Amino acid sequence: MTLVKDVRQLSRGWRWSRRRLPPHSAEPHHSFAEPREFPTEWARSRPARAAREVLLRGGLSPLVRRETTTRVEGLDIFDDLEGPVIIVANHTSHLDTALLLTTLPVKWQRKVTVGAAADYFFDAWWRAIGSALVFATFPIERRGTGLSDTPTKLIEAGWSIVMFPEGTRSPDGWTRRFRPGAAALARSHNIAIVPVAISGSYAAMPRGRNWPKPGRPSVHVRYGRPVRPLEDENTLALNARVSAAISALLDEDGTDWYTAARRAAAEETPSSAGPAVANWRRVWTSTAGPTVRGGRPKAWR
Amino acid sequence: MTRPGFVLTVDERTPPLLMHSGESFKLQEFPLGSRVIYPAESLPGLPDLDEAIENALLHPIDSEPLPALLTAGMKLTIAFDDISLPLPQMRKPDVRQRVLEHVLQHAADAGVDDVELIIATALHRRMTADEVRGVVGERVFRSFWPDQLYNFDAEDRDNLAHLGTTDTGEDVEISKRAAESDLLVYVNVNLVAMDGGWKSTAIGLASYNSLRHHHNAHTMVNSKSFMDPRHSELHSSAWRMGRVISEHVKVFQIETTLNNDAFPSQYGFLTKREWEWSLKDQAMFLATKRGIDLLPTKTRRRTFQNMAAPYAVTGVNAGAVEPVHDKTLERVHQQQLVEVNGQTDILVMGLPYLCPYNVNSIMNPILAACLGLGYLFNMYRGKPLVREGGVLILDHPVPWEFSMLHHPSYVDFFDEVLAESTDPKVIGPKFEQQYATDPWYTHLYRTSNAYHGVHPFYMWYWCAHALDHLGQVIWVGGDRRSVARMGMRSASTFADALELARDTVGSSPSITYQHAPPHILSDVR
Repeated sequence: MTLVKDVRQLSRGWRWSRRRLPPHSAEPHHSFAEPREFPTEWARSRPARAAREVLLRGGLSPLVRRETTTRVEGLDIFDDLEGPVIIVANHTSHLDTALLLTTLPVKWQRKVTVGAAADYFFDAWWRAIGSALVFATFPIERRGTGLSDTPTKLIEAGWSIVMFPEGTRSPDGWTRRFRPGAAALARSHNIAIVPVAISGSYAAMPRGRNWPKPGRPSVHVRYGRPVRPLEDENTLALNARVSAAISALLDEDGTDWYTAARRAAAEETPSSAGPAVANWRRVWTSTAGPTVRGGRPKAWR
Repeated sequence: MTRPGFVLTVDERTPPLLMHSGESFKLQEFPLGSRVIYPAESLPGLPDLDEAIENALLHPIDSEPLPALLTAGMKLTIAFDDISLPLPQMRKPDVRQRVLEHVLQHAADAGVDDVELIIATALHRRMTADEVRGVVGERVFRSFWPDQLYNFDAEDRDNLAHLGTTDTGEDVEISKRAAESDLLVYVNVNLVAMDGGWKSTAIGLASYNSLRHHHNAHTMVNSKSFMDPRHSELHSSAWRMGRVISEHVKVFQIETTLNNDAFPSQYGFLTKREWEWSLKDQAMFLATKRGIDLLPTKTRRRTFQNMAAPYAVTGVNAGAVEPVHDKTLERVHQQQLVEVNGQTDILVMGLPYLCPYNVNSIMNPILAACLGLGYLFNMYRGKPLVREGGVLILDHPVPWEFSMLHHPSYVDFFDEVLAESTDPKVIGPKFEQQYATDPWYTHLYRTSNAYHGVHPFYMWYWCAHALDHLGQVIWVGGDRRSVARMGMRSASTFADALELARDTVGSSPSITYQHAPPHILSDVR
């Protein structure tokens, strides 16, 4: 066996390009090393920010618009908003981060970071560097190994943070339970949460795909009014308001602002968690994509 | 905290696994679902070995303290294990040296003049002066070698004593000096569960006349296994003989146990679980393997043989033979026992470069077979790891190569005896006497460094239980001529071996890899 073959065997066997994992049956006998947080300060340095701006505006943004039919609503909320804020969105696709970063106003784009799953985006050096550079990500541990102080430091340094409180991409396109991390962070720093509803990204690029479906599928990004922590409001209550705001935005996307507002006032907003029906029907509905109202007339009917 | 041994199930996350293959090693990929038995991590060594030895001598089990047994004018004999233990040789100072120095200090304090130290070689080769110095240390060597520190000679009729027979008619004939002493102290290194107990004196100091009663195919087939003394006919026989010995001489047994640190720290990858290999371990593996494979055979062999194990001593027990040995076995089991659920269709083992009989020598085909089919196959308690009629796959080059210094009778055994039959039950009655009494072999055994003429038969008997139990034995990478001479099959690769095994165990067999060394004693449920 040649040296090259030996090296190839080692690189494949020991997953050089990915996070190393013990065999399943060895896990009870394996002591997991305390995860070290991947350093991302460099990705927020001036040169990295400049590089990111070029990549986002010159590469990613045209790409997203070429591959999808993107509609963005509610950007006016940023006109009289001061940072930092926490931008919270429902999460069904890897497309979501790209959609948010490429639709944010440039001023906000320059000072935003994205919380990303440490076990996925930071499991291999090349993926960690790539996502930190392009998406300004920082690692978030999903396995409950203790809270990192990185988000606090970022907010104190004036950085806004994008978070997906569901913790992972939805398996069926409907929202899952919101974890209270973003709400807790907003409360502890008394900053606003900007709710964002993204619809159509599941249909465009669900789990398992790494590129949008052909045919420029429609995706909608709808920014909502900031949700500010109230005095005497606990984290769970704030988290529930944020969740309700995103549900209302998703409702608005399917209907119109006034209908959604009336339903919200009457507490009749349809649940964004979807109907309690068979899984295939939930997936079926989600894969249909968002309802396009007032779009261009089709060439033929 | 020492992690216990366990059984791994190979899945998509499992890296290729380290496998020994004679004077080399490799990474072997296993089919998904294969089981791999991993040894326990090393137990911590005793914090103060000198204190532990002294404590064992002063507070022995079922015996008076050693100083109380020593008196001026007495005849004291100290016997100890030869170079076949431990494997690999341990880093200096050897634990035998440490124990011997304590025992001799007590003897000196008591004013004992008549002291002799016997290396319990039985029918093994004589140790060289350098080897003896390495084991006993400079002080002991300088004080006693060569007149009062010497290799046991099982063919020196004038210095053997026939002590009688056991209740089943077995002759008990051991060293006359040991048998006629006022006190016989035995210093043992209990590397595996087979060692120690009455086996030390009843076998280590015995002649062919005595050994022939249990070193035969019948006994070995009925020792299931000889690594489990309570179910070993070999040990039952040794225990019967031991009781005869105890009627003639008081035996003060000192047994020591070692942990699993079989390789120096720079070769840590040899004992580390593969998925825990750091980049440095991977680089060390690659560099070592590539380097070793480039070396000429002799240099490679020397490199391996010079590897000294940094074993730590995990226990020292002294006193009456049987209760001491019970304590020793507890400690050995604590280190080596691994629970395994159920037998397997195919058992896979990578054979390392060393067995008890090729220290500073060549691992010839008979010794390779003995290591795989004898020692490693028998490393079980309860049931054999592989089911009856199953397949054993061994990885070793099995070169047709013999040491003319150490193994002269092996050459003839391989050429003449195995050419006629490979059945231990057939070759024993037909050829054993001839080899056991051959004057030239006897001469070489007594005056050179050769194993006794009958020794290759014993090695083949060691395989008897496995040969009786297995449906097929396949050697991966084995020299075709050598393997065919032993009545087995060879395969170029592991995949080919699995293909050959289909004839015996079907197309979807269960596979188990015994990831040793270090030692694993599988407790098969």
